Amino acid sequence: MTAEPEVADAVPSGSTRTVTLRLNGETRTVEIDQAATLLQVLRDQLGITSARSACGIGVCGACTVLVDGKVTSSCIMLAAQAHDREITTGEGLRLPSGELSAVQRAFVDRGAYQCSFCIPAMVLTVHAALQDPEAGRDVESVREYLAGNLCRCGTYPTILEAVADLVGAEPADGGAA
Amino acid sequence: MPEVGSDRRMHDAEERVVGTVPFVLDVRVDGMAHAKAVRSPFPHARIRSVRTDDALAVPGVLLVLTGADLDADPEVNPYYGSPRPDQPALAIGKARYAGEPVAVVVAETAAAAAAAAPLVEVDYEELPHVVDANEAARPGAPVVHDAWPDNGCGSWRVRHGDPDAALASADRVYTGVYHSPSASHVPMEPMVCIADWTGGGLEVWSATQAPHAVREALEKMFAVPPGGVRVRTLNVGGGYGAKTQVKIEPLVACAARAAGRPVRMELARDEVFLTAAKHAATVELTTGVRDDGTIVARRVKVNYNAGAYALSSPIASGQGLTRANGPYTIPNVAIESVATYTNTVPSCPFRGAMTSQLAFAYESQLDDIAADLGMDPLELRRKNLLRDGEVYPTGEVMHDLHYDELLDDLERAIDWGGPPEPAPPGKARGKGIAIMLKNTLTPTRSEARLRLVPDGRVHLDSSTVELGQGSHPTLLQLTADHLGISADRLVRGFPDTAHTPYDTTTSSSRSTHAMGTALERAAADLKRRLRALAADHWGVPAEEVEVADGHVAHPGTGERLPWEGLLAATGTGEVVGEGVFAPDFGLTLLEDPHDVRGRVTVHWHQGGAAAEVEVDLETGRVEVLRMHANCYAGRVVSPLRVRQQNQGCAVFGLGPTLFEELHYQDGTLTNPNLSDYMIPSILDVPAVITSSALEAGDESAELHGVGEMALPAVAPAVANALFAATGTRIDRLPLTPERVLRALGEHDPVKEETG
Amino acid sequence: MTAPVVREPGSTREACALLAADPWGTKVVSGGTALVLMMRQGLVAPQSLVALWRIPGLAGITRAGDVLRIGATTTLAEVAASPLVRSVAPSLAHACSVVGNPRIRNVATLGGNLAEADYASDPPAALASLGARCHATGPDGTREIPVRDLVTGFYETVLDHAELITHVDVPIAGPGRRATYLKYRTRSSEDRPCVGVAARLDADERGRVRELDVVVAAVAPTLHRVPAALDAAAGRAVDDALAGEVARSYAEAVEPLEDARGSAWYRRRMVEVLVRRAVQRFTAPEEVVRSA
Repeated sequence: MTAEPEVADAVPSGSTRTVTLRLNGETRTVEIDQAATLLQVLRDQLGITSARSACGIGVCGACTVLVDGKVTSSCIMLAAQAHDREITTGEGLRLPSGELSAVQRAFVDRGAYQCSFCIPAMVLTVHAALQDPEAGRDVESVREYLAGNLCRCGTYPTILEAVADLVGAEPADGGAA
Repeated sequence: MPEVGSDRRMHDAEERVVGTVPFVLDVRVDGMAHAKAVRSPFPHARIRSVRTDDALAVPGVLLVLTGADLDADPEVNPYYGSPRPDQPALAIGKARYAGEPVAVVVAETAAAAAAAAPLVEVDYEELPHVVDANEAARPGAPVVHDAWPDNGCGSWRVRHGDPDAALASADRVYTGVYHSPSASHVPMEPMVCIADWTGGGLEVWSATQAPHAVREALEKMFAVPPGGVRVRTLNVGGGYGAKTQVKIEPLVACAARAAGRPVRMELARDEVFLTAAKHAATVELTTGVRDDGTIVARRVKVNYNAGAYALSSPIASGQGLTRANGPYTIPNVAIESVATYTNTVPSCPFRGAMTSQLAFAYESQLDDIAADLGMDPLELRRKNLLRDGEVYPTGEVMHDLHYDELLDDLERAIDWGGPPEPAPPGKARGKGIAIMLKNTLTPTRSEARLRLVPDGRVHLDSSTVELGQGSHPTLLQLTADHLGISADRLVRGFPDTAHTPYDTTTSSSRSTHAMGTALERAAADLKRRLRALAADHWGVPAEEVEVADGHVAHPGTGERLPWEGLLAATGTGEVVGEGVFAPDFGLTLLEDPHDVRGRVTVHWHQGGAAAEVEVDLETGRVEVLRMHANCYAGRVVSPLRVRQQNQGCAVFGLGPTLFEELHYQDGTLTNPNLSDYMIPSILDVPAVITSSALEAGDESAELHGVGEMALPAVAPAVANALFAATGTRIDRLPLTPERVLRALGEHDPVKEETG
Repeated sequence: MTAPVVREPGSTREACALLAADPWGTKVVSGGTALVLMMRQGLVAPQSLVALWRIPGLAGITRAGDVLRIGATTTLAEVAASPLVRSVAPSLAHACSVVGNPRIRNVATLGGNLAEADYASDPPAALASLGARCHATGPDGTREIPVRDLVTGFYETVLDHAELITHVDVPIAGPGRRATYLKYRTRSSEDRPCVGVAARLDADERGRVRELDVVVAAVAPTLHRVPAALDAAAGRAVDDALAGEVARSYAEAVEPLEDARGSAWYRRRMVEVLVRRAVQRFTAPEEVVRSA
């Protein structure tokens, strides 16, 4: 094997290693199990609760975090992969003042939550959709972005109302009470 | 300003949205170890021996506990289940379904436990198995439990009038067999539990819908006196029935007892699939009608697949019986409802419990009858609706029924009389409606306690679980109005069986009514006690003291004393009001399960749905373009939350209607993950989704729960819309494209359009 | 069981050497969305992971003459959003935009997608229909493999264990090129394809077929393609009759698999319907690349 010098450092000796994450604006360095997923490290070592394990295979979205601003399933990303990257969770969307972000505020104002297990991930996804220069700033574009975030309570219509508030659109149909 | 009728926000709304609201998933206890179940790969097998050496050799593994260990422990009764304690915490002697826990590994870390679990070697002797409940009910079928050699897990009958004669003399008789497969509840939060014996008694954290039921079961298992087990829960991340009754708590409690330290177990998604499922059901339905559309007789036979263990099936099958007639006046009825053991995942209530399977049958058949008679399906329903004063097969004279209004609302919402929008080439469109009737859990018991404390706030002690349905703000709003104060003065914590009084369960859409009534009584009790305290203080007759607006008023001087002032003036620590709602009638109190007579519910749940669909005639794919969900609510506590429940029913209901189904192959569940078993996404929501909650317009009207009223109507509404669009009737859920395409072929669809 | 060691080589040469040194114990990790999943499910238990994320030059989308070059560790989201891909290979951009969900597409890479050889994936069919070739490098040097020949069976490719895909070249055509990708789902909007059809037409000035390619995904362990039917289309007018004939040939030739998304019977029917619809898109006057 012809190890090049810059690689030698990265070849670990055991099954643990150190990673440094920029988590919600703070630099955090932790010793991790090499096989640990980002979700495990966030929940078990870094005190994050907003990212949650539900399907374990990246399809439900409950473990969504932003990695360098992009939505990512933290349950199928190795923590090692997140080394030196910017990680944002639901907790980190709050403004520096502690106030809710615009997306969080819209969800609260519309009551767009039921059991709420999936909601922080929905919020992050809407946030990312509205930041994505490739995505349109309309309800339909955000809805497509949200397609991989599952909610079993069936809160989707209320979430779309919150999205409509954010993009300044009339809700398609709020339904009559 | 009354609280009821307003959308009081959840007090922790911000934490819910940010992600810091607590779930049991987040709880950590000092010194806790982690458990992983070893599960049977066979649907039915004798356990010959278990070798644990290799698993114990994994670094960090503390112990491996087996069913034989539990069986040998004189201080543990390993079997639980109410009403039928047939389920061991770990399989003893036999495994009865593929996925049943046969051993549990306890280790320092979850990773070590998971790594060791596959190393537990179990020597099995495979036994013949049965997956289908109809096969299991036949003589000679494999026997799941020796104690029930006919695999019976509940048997109920009712007979009303003379159905045989009426069917014989009916102008037309229609017979159909309708199948609903098993499905998975898929609460986003998995079952998770921590058990801890280190404080002397047993302390449990569990994501459960029924903390007191868990407490009672564990007290029975470990023979500790009532109150010896403490069960706490937090916000629960969805239940839909999956977290009713007792689930993983006995296993975790046994593991913690063996380990001598706290043990935590969080199920992986596949394990959630293997812990509880919806009852698959076959409904045989025969209906006799006169040529004018009058229904004269109905015979129903329903067989619910109970799975390998009873859970609530012995009673739930009886609830099925009482719902099988449907919301129609039928003078001659015979219903038989059974539950049957099979070697599959144990079944338990699933949002719209026991009713969805029935409504799919009776509402599908009704549209077939309408088509055969050349009648409008809506008119056929109106002609036969169950209305106040009519007699139900159980003998109950019905009241407080609102199906006329519900049908009117569906008619308006879906523009029933108007033609569907023209379909593009190769596609067809149609509209369908359906309604349903459902009883709520009766008998049942809800206790509530209100404690006025010196700072003037009132603590609300209730074991109702916040599942996201908004029970917390709802109970606060109701109580505030009963006390005549703002809900801001009310304080409520999470259910904790050591402090919050008994409640049967948070399910069956019962809490708003049952716990709401208990709180109404507790509020009256609290006011009565305040009146007495003030009367004593002032030396006036109690009945003359007025209690309102958070004050007591002197009948003579008019002096008004705030409640906290009264406490201070009298040196009283706290004043406690208590209330109980516990109807002394109901299904399980009836004399004869084979002759069900009497009241089976405190009131009847009523709901409906309307759908417009577009069917691709070449692929069979059904798209729901428009859906309306409605229910009777009595009074609406929060318009937003009622709307969310109705819309939630519509969205949730589309899954089992269109694609959700648990598949078994050789007795093993083959799709226990969210890639092979899909639930509706936001793109599956119809473009137009609306809802209505009907109110009585009368302040004294009873409050009705609304959590699952539209759900049983969703599948038949869609199936009826498909029928309207194509003339094709599908009697088996889900309405997959393949099933639809095959049926279109049999029906000989508009070939010229597709070729 | 011990956790795998993550190795982060700085060059493809070193990565291949690490792989060659331990053919049984190593796995390549690129985006990791598939591999981490398989590890979590216990389907694979590598002793070490050879990560590609520190190797320079493996990501990126460039155009050199009439070739579109996409680096192996370019994410599916990057391919889908690339103005260059959208302009010269819109059906590929579309196929990448319908994989999984945004979270998967942000992490999963095009090279990883190809190497995983998942039968129910969207991009390989689109690439194959465009005549794309992947470039692989290994201990014995580099080679080019047509994407249509890459997959040999369920999760199996012609790649050697120590071979890495470095980039994919997609030929760019002049005027007269039309291409489409149709993803047909039978369950939730989030489902993987029951049938995926990629079709590409290069037409002459009169609108007749110069070259037609149709590649069907998700119906068999490998990509389904019927060369005879494509050859027979040469010189023909692009009309409903041609679409129907090609569709029938594809339906007759397929040996469909069964899974939760459809039976063999149903898949054969859907191959016919979807291939026909894909080719029919070329009979419409305007450029259509969106999915059904």
